[in-house]
Amino acid sequence: MEENANLTAERSLEIITEQIERSRNVVAKDTGQLLYLSGLATMGTAVIVALVNGLSASPMGQLLWLILPFIIWGIKRIHDKKQVQAPVSLVGTLVCKTWWSFGYIVIGFYLFALIWNILVLRLCDNLTTATQAMVAITPVIILLMGMAVAVTGHILKRRWLVLFGILGGLLVAICEYSGVIRAIIVYSVASVKTIIVLNLITPCLSIFLFSLIGLVIPGWMLKKQNP
Amino acid sequence: MMFPALDPLLHSELRLAVVSLLMSVYEADFTYIKEQTGATSGNLSVQLDKLTAAGYITVEKGFKGKMPRTTCRITPAGTEAFRDYVKALKKYISAKK
Repeated sequence: MEENANLTAERSLEIITEQIERSRNVVAKDTGQLLYLSGLATMGTAVIVALVNGLSASPMGQLLWLILPFIIWGIKRIHDKKQVQAPVSLVGTLVCKTWWSFGYIVIGFYLFALIWNILVLRLCDNLTTATQAMVAITPVIILLMGMAVAVTGHILKRRWLVLFGILGGLLVAICEYSGVIRAIIVYSVASVKTIIVLNLITPCLSIFLFSLIGLVIPGWMLKKQNP
Repeated sequence: MMFPALDPLLHSELRLAVVSLLMSVYEADFTYIKEQTGATSGNLSVQLDKLTAAGYITVEKGFKGKMPRTTCRITPAGTEAFRDYVKALKKYISAKK
């Protein structure tokens, strides 16, 4: 870009719009990369949790979810070191704060729900009553994740990302909460033992699915759209 | 109808690009501005000096690890000048229509 004082008003406005758009695209690419990597890490953790749950036939593997924030934090640190960092902008800060808020709420909720569910199982004599009193962790986390993706889409002005967040979040959360995924498993598997084991795996399957729909695919698309 | 005069310091392709870029970020380093505007280092340095002299931006030289780093930030005067410039531009364009 050379110095040119003979600018028309239209060209001036074009330069301003172009620079603001470029800045937004740099943040979008950076966010895309992080969504993509965080999605892959979440999918990987879901597989490990499912394997541990399945092999031990107990929900102990759920505790492994607590490692995920540290994995994502590590990924962000490596990403920041390797890449030419996008400058701190209002758009970038908003995206960052959306995901930090999501992280804090999810960790807090997860710890509360875990303790609550353990207490309910210990205190209730009747398994049916206990099941009713237990907090459904997975659908809530998926809904929150869907909301974070949708808010990110609004900030980055990407309508398709908003749709991915809302539709993906609602679809997977409803399937998980209403037991559609469980029902499919129950109808397709005959053995009772296998059903119990698969019941321990279905929340991981839902998280795996939403990570693919809400994080990995949008992240990859954001990366591709802003080369 | 009287048109407000366009700030001559901002009415230049590269300087306008730099200020527009700095308007959307808290701060940006020299390499990033160079990359985004496609300017040469020499030309960019000259334009940054002019903007600094007018008090529109501040330039801070420091280090990131062992690498030297020049960081630019827009000042309140720069923000004000940019707003006035955009207002004036809008008047020109609406008058044309």
